[in-house]
Amino acid sequence: MKRGENQEDFAGVQRGKALPEARQLRKQAGDWLKARRAEAGLSQVDLAAKLGLKYYTFISQVENGFSRVPTETMEAWAIQLGLEPAAFAKHLLVYYEPELHRLLFGAPK
Amino acid sequence: MNVIAFQRKPLQGAWSETELATLADTINLGHRGREWETGITENGDAQLYLLGPQPEQACELCVSRVDGQYILEDGTGRLLFEHRSLPLVAAHARTALRGTRWWLVARIVMVWCTIRHMLHDEIEPLMTEGEELLVHFAPQLAAFV
Repeated sequence: MKRGENQEDFAGVQRGKALPEARQLRKQAGDWLKARRAEAGLSQVDLAAKLGLKYYTFISQVENGFSRVPTETMEAWAIQLGLEPAAFAKHLLVYYEPELHRLLFGAPK
Repeated sequence: MNVIAFQRKPLQGAWSETELATLADTINLGHRGREWETGITENGDAQLYLLGPQPEQACELCVSRVDGQYILEDGTGRLLFEHRSLPLVAAHARTALRGTRWWLVARIVMVWCTIRHMLHDEIEPLMTEGEELLVHFAPQLAAFV
């Protein structure tokens, strides 16, 4: 059985060697989302309930940097986090599609 | 006589070695370099992420344990299966992983059909030409024999 290398507890995730850039960026997005959720005073369970999810596990999946916020639910996430949907989507693009963000809006400041 | 049913206390926290072994055996973790990671939710519930190929390594499937219930979701948060039996959930995960490879099988079949079609187009005129020559010259050759 091959286990994730260099088991190290890092923001709730056991992970290994230097991560590919896409994964690092997704993790940064997850950290940003976690901070916004904390600002909104919501737990992962609360946010999942507000988004109509049966389980809160997907919120953890996203915040741990393994998945993205699906485009079709970005607006709902933004509203529940008390953020403006366009600004929310634009900010997530920095992490999820950095090259597209650069082409559309220039280099992030 | 009254029989009181005691419920087993559900597992909490990180994956146990037994649980990981069940998942590893059923899903064939680490097979063909497929990477996986474990994680913990805010509430301390265990999660296991099966990752896709490099460089994205996005989560393809996620198995979580919440209050003794095992939950199988895909990378978009779609709930695929839930049950208290981990072997059953692992079996569904294995099936789901096989399902994600169907596009590859479809592509291979398509390429194979294209190659066969091309070869058929190239070879058929040659075969027809050879057949015509044989039909034309066979009686004359037979006359010489």
